[in-house]
Amino acid sequence: MTLTLLEGALLLFVVGCGLGAALLKDTLASVISFAAYSLGVSIIWLILQAPDVGLTEAAVGAGIMTILFLLALANTVTPDADRLLERVRWRTVALVGAFVVVMGATVPALPTIGDPTAPVVSGDVTQYYLTNAYDQTGVHNAVTAVLAAYRGFDTLGEAVVVFSAGVVALSVLRREVFA
Amino acid sequence: MSVDDQPGLYVESTIIMTTVRVVAPFVLTFALFIMFHGADSPGGGFQGGVIAGSVVMMLAFAFGIESTRRWLDIRVVAALASGGVLVFAAIGLGAIALGGQFLQYTEYQPYYADASKYGIELVELGIGGIVASVAIGLFFLLAAGFGHVTEGER
Repeated sequence: MTLTLLEGALLLFVVGCGLGAALLKDTLASVISFAAYSLGVSIIWLILQAPDVGLTEAAVGAGIMTILFLLALANTVTPDADRLLERVRWRTVALVGAFVVVMGATVPALPTIGDPTAPVVSGDVTQYYLTNAYDQTGVHNAVTAVLAAYRGFDTLGEAVVVFSAGVVALSVLRREVFA
Repeated sequence: MSVDDQPGLYVESTIIMTTVRVVAPFVLTFALFIMFHGADSPGGGFQGGVIAGSVVMMLAFAFGIESTRRWLDIRVVAALASGGVLVFAAIGLGAIALGGQFLQYTEYQPYYADASKYGIELVELGIGGIVASVAIGLFFLLAAGFGHVTEGER
């Protein structure tokens, strides 16, 4: 697998920001690092030609989540950070490292990006969606066709989950109206 | 204790207020574009809804969270959230009522040309309404925190 300069730089940036979010002692710095991480990941989605996911990551991960985190920080007492980095617990590092090794071990088994012979491309379901999506649903974006037509019932469930999350937040914070 | 009472959290700035006043309509238009155009280009209800919700947050940053909270009609937010779920469910169940399966848009074809395309657009709009209002709601809820409860119960 060869990386272009841009991909390599983005990967480095994302990993660095992820480590920063985990290790920085100051919560504000950690939140900012996490937002930068989301921004980097959203650009990576774009490069991997998944603009729908990239748009979501940029809007939700880098946008709304950061604002909500910052608001939560503003409403809580933050202890003064006496040092730059969090104290590292080596048992946690070993556990996370083992997880990374297990996940990383599956990477070589993945098909290369854009491989036309990849199982997911030649699979019956994918081909069915790609050939029939426009004729059957009338929309050009196959992602939307799957989301709102073929898998519409799942999407209704998703929408209800978002709605329920709002209602639950209301009841947890013991308020009756949203604004 | 509200957010605006805390010193230093809200700074009235002419630059930010003017910028937001100019930019906000464009951001809202972009959000609607993402929602409507999700059928033919990347995007859709979830992404557009979040961007629409962020317009209100932008206003809150420029004009203060408390003033935005007072300006915002809570009935609109509640109607968007529950209306979105109702619209989505109604389109799905309506197809069953017409003798098809859940969300089978072609059942509407005799009544409306391109029923499938417009059905999907409506569903996306519904999702957008839910996501936008819940994002706005979470924003104001987190901004208020528990402080408002004690104030109201006193």
